[in-house]
Amino acid sequence: MKLIDAARVIRSKNAGPTQVTCDLMFDTRELYERALAAPSLKAAVIAQRFNVAEAEIIPYPAANAIKIVIPRRIIAGSPGDTDVYGAQQHRPLLDIEI
Amino acid sequence: MSAFAKTIDTWKRERGPLRIISASGQLGYGIPEPAFRAGLARRPHLIGADMGSVDPGPYYLGAGKLATARRSSKRDLSLAVIGAVRNGIPLIIGTAGTGGGDPHLAETVEIIREIARENGLNFRLATINAEMPRDVIKAAVRAGKTVPIGPIEPLTEATIDGAARIVGQMGMEAFQRAIDLEPDIIIAGRACDTAIYATLPQRLGFDVGTALQMAKIIECASLCCEGGGRDTMLGTLEGNSFVLESMNPARRATPMSVAAHSLYEQADPLSVAEPEGTLYLSDAKYEAVDDRRVRVSGGRWEPAKQFTVKIEGATHLGARAVMVAGSTDPVFIAKAPEIAASVEAMIRELVPPNPKRPYELFFRFYGLGVVGGQPVTTIPEEVGVLVECIGETEEEARAVVATAKQYLLHAPFPGRISTAGNLGFPFTPPEMTAGDAYRFSIYHIMEVDDLAPLFPVSIETIGG
Repeated sequence: MKLIDAARVIRSKNAGPTQVTCDLMFDTRELYERALAAPSLKAAVIAQRFNVAEAEIIPYPAANAIKIVIPRRIIAGSPGDTDVYGAQQHRPLLDIEI
Repeated sequence: MSAFAKTIDTWKRERGPLRIISASGQLGYGIPEPAFRAGLARRPHLIGADMGSVDPGPYYLGAGKLATARRSSKRDLSLAVIGAVRNGIPLIIGTAGTGGGDPHLAETVEIIREIARENGLNFRLATINAEMPRDVIKAAVRAGKTVPIGPIEPLTEATIDGAARIVGQMGMEAFQRAIDLEPDIIIAGRACDTAIYATLPQRLGFDVGTALQMAKIIECASLCCEGGGRDTMLGTLEGNSFVLESMNPARRATPMSVAAHSLYEQADPLSVAEPEGTLYLSDAKYEAVDDRRVRVSGGRWEPAKQFTVKIEGATHLGARAVMVAGSTDPVFIAKAPEIAASVEAMIRELVPPNPKRPYELFFRFYGLGVVGGQPVTTIPEEVGVLVECIGETEEEARAVVATAKQYLLHAPFPGRISTAGNLGFPFTPPEMTAGDAYRFSIYHIMEVDDLAPLFPVSIETIGG
């Protein structure tokens, strides 16, 4: 199952100008747990997918959600940036198999 | 008696629940009026509004400009100020004028004076400045008391000297000192949006963890509801829990929508750092009161052993010019990055960069993997072209982009079939100057022993 078919929300946004945070929200506890257990959603795999040194995966069971925090390659609004708000960085997550 | 003093007095006599409304998620983008009026009708003890953040990028902080149009800012400020003053309700506005620096604060206060004049309002206005004294930051750097937040260079004295503007985020401590001056309205420079809403409850002896937890949710107005929204949100503090209700009857707060809101724009959904301590949300509870109201509890406050201030600074880079175009030619699109490289070499010959301060030039082909930084798997039938230069002066940046326009339009390449031009321009002139360019050079935590000197408070009487 692909993440885009499993999650209700897959979004990204700055958490301050130096980090981007992606939220995955699921309708059921089962889908949330399935995603959380998936090897494709481990920190190292996600970091590689986003081409960054490290990623942090934070489970948030209260909302059946998983948070992913990645460092920005370019600080928001610095020369060369293409997404000042970080709102369009979710794409690499969509076709992840869980 | 000022609105703050009167409200504090009245509440102390009556006790009971404390009602706080957040006018809108961000002042200046349009307060939805029906929900705001509905909020006023609930006779709140406080109106709060946030007016800025770092989100829109370094320009506004650096340039001292508002991101919102003046007329839109004035409309929203009018609703908030008139609503507060005519009803005797205290009003707190945080992060004035997008960036929360001195010019942002001054322009916002100027708009408020104008509103007072035009509407015959009299009130006491407390202002809190948030630009950081540079000697204090430098001393902190020398003492090893600054830490980067995320991937940004460690702070140096040279960075501090080079910054166009540096602000610090104030917390409840600064707002308490402002309340001491008995104002009707408090307007603050860069501030924690939580402090806007949590200071009055703290003053009245409410549990700080619960008050901050409520503040953290209502500062985004109705965004914590299903489907989001900017409508005024009502938070009602009752002892160690609070009830959330959107003032737009169509917006429903549910336990799930409110819990999910804790994720928004936060690197850590379970803790929120404030200058005076940390709010922990790991024991948060969300219970439905009915189908559109939620009761929340469990926020836990831990005072810090060491005060900290988040500091933000922007550095001026030069001036920006840009050009917008598009292409439908399959051969050009397939070779666009190589063509851009050859055009760039040509430009650097024709407009030689100053070796001491070389301009920066960017070619972006939208459709070929620009926004997400990931390569695309299919070549599109059409691409958008953006050329951007950050030069030492506006004149230099414009010269670079104008040259880029001409050479990209007519660049030769193997297999070219569309020999009259590679680009379609949507308007003329295709190159535009885009003002000053800045970058965030400071986004750090600074340890301080005394918060008060960093955030000076003053009071004035407006009108009357």
